[in-house]
Amino acid sequence: MLTVHEIDVFIQASHILRRVSLEVGAREVVCLVGRNGAGKSTTLRTIMGYLRPRSGRVELRGQPIQGRRTHEIAALGLGWAPEDSGIFTDLTVAENIEIATWTRRGGRPAAERLDLAYGVFPVLRRYMTRKGPEMSGGERKMLSIARALALDPEMLLLDEPFEGLSPTIIPSVSDGIAQITRLGHAVLLAESNIHHVPEYTTRLYVIERGEIVFAGTLDDAWRDATVLRIIGGTR
Amino acid sequence: MTGPLVVAAAVVAIALAPLVASTYHVLLMLPFMAYAVVLLGLNLLLGYAGLVSFGHALFIGIGAYTGAFLTSHFKIRSLEVILIAAAALGALVAAPVGALCVRYVKIYFGMLTLAFGMVFYTFVLKFYRLTGGDEGTPFLRPSLLGRSLEAMPKTDYLVGPYYYYSLGVVVVATLCMWRIVHSPFGLCLKTIRDNPAKAETLGIGVTRFRFHAFVISAVYAAVGGALLGPPIGNVDPTLAYWTHSGNIVFMTLLGGFTSFFGPVVGAFVFIYLQNWVMSVVPYWRLIFGAILAAIVIFAPGGLLGLVRPGRAAVRAAGRRGAGAPPAESRP
Repeated sequence: MLTVHEIDVFIQASHILRRVSLEVGAREVVCLVGRNGAGKSTTLRTIMGYLRPRSGRVELRGQPIQGRRTHEIAALGLGWAPEDSGIFTDLTVAENIEIATWTRRGGRPAAERLDLAYGVFPVLRRYMTRKGPEMSGGERKMLSIARALALDPEMLLLDEPFEGLSPTIIPSVSDGIAQITRLGHAVLLAESNIHHVPEYTTRLYVIERGEIVFAGTLDDAWRDATVLRIIGGTR
Repeated sequence: MTGPLVVAAAVVAIALAPLVASTYHVLLMLPFMAYAVVLLGLNLLLGYAGLVSFGHALFIGIGAYTGAFLTSHFKIRSLEVILIAAAALGALVAAPVGALCVRYVKIYFGMLTLAFGMVFYTFVLKFYRLTGGDEGTPFLRPSLLGRSLEAMPKTDYLVGPYYYYSLGVVVVATLCMWRIVHSPFGLCLKTIRDNPAKAETLGIGVTRFRFHAFVISAVYAAVGGALLGPPIGNVDPTLAYWTHSGNIVFMTLLGGFTSFFGPVVGAFVFIYLQNWVMSVVPYWRLIFGAILAAIVIFAPGGLLGLVRPGRAAVRAAGRRGAGAPPAESRP
């Protein structure tokens, strides 16, 4: 589905990502784990086309997408739920979700996509006429993911979906994500806390100072001393 | 829903005005209706897409000169033809201008539109043989719906058939713009105003949407500009001068760009206030400058913004009581 091959990314003069490679297959759930500032968001933002790799390739279904515009990449079927949620606060919850059914045509009909989005986070149905400022951080996060889902993407990029959420709301967000993976969407999830990595994760990459230092299953990661030193102690 | 009732009452009041108000005040309604069309378009750009143009007098000028040229040089008097030609020319000029301007935002967008406006102003001022320079070009009395009306006294024509024709244009323009801003296109513009970077992640081509908004607003400005011509009877370069662009931005702020009808209310208040202040003191710009400063500081939502928070609070209270919130929050 998605292949990132040895990308080097610079932000001005700083070398942020060094030969980062990762792979997400169809229906796979892949986690990119690392500390704050390790390069998780930069990797995701590069995939979404906000940043251009200086070298390396990003391919979606075998088609190179590095250097393309963000809206084109989204239209190719990559849904994105950013770290700061990025919901449109002037719009109602319903409008936030509906908009994605218009911007990417084809695929499933709009009504079906809306059912899917609300089906994953049923609580949003109760807030349909609310606007951004009236929502909690957890609700914004759910809306952000639901909106990305309404785009009917083949794959979702979720940037720290549990970041800054109260422990009471984390279960409903993680249930929603589990449901999304059961629907057959590929997922690339960035996370700073290995305790938040879902157990059904297909593969896990650990990123440290802009380099991938580990790739393997969650069980292997728990047995790896280096991995635990980097990300195990953040509970 | 009180919104539609208020709008319907306003239309009825405008329609009845010639029967009750003095001719002088009825004549003032003509520029108001022309500006209403201009501002509906300008607000698509300012209020919905978040781009402030300081060059829309360019398109008002295009519309007005189109009418003046067609009636003076080409013997075409039909106002329907004039309005369609104005809209087409407005779009034709807006396409290249907009394509350049919408690549920039904020002050850069504003300055670029200002620059294009000044180029056009200088053009109509200096090409004397074509445009009549500072003397302008006469806008001869147009025929309405195929009826010449040449024999009518000028005032009777303006407060009668032309008045209702303008009202018809305003109503149609309003309905079209209402459809536009409540369509997916309008919603996409709002997401772009909110956060262009995030709008991109939903597959919205930000530049393309801004461009379309620019062209639509230019078409509205040109149609409104053409409507401005007949009451004056002569089109001169001051219509295209940058202070005119400033005036329409002022009208928008005065009424409130955060609501659909705010700019229209702003145009109404601007025209009658200007008329009154000018009759009292010669320094109307001084007074208007103070008003503009007060609006920006104390009422950033404009005149309609002063009315709406109260209504929103009432609605919120109703929402908590009833449990079922109302569907539409913008009037």
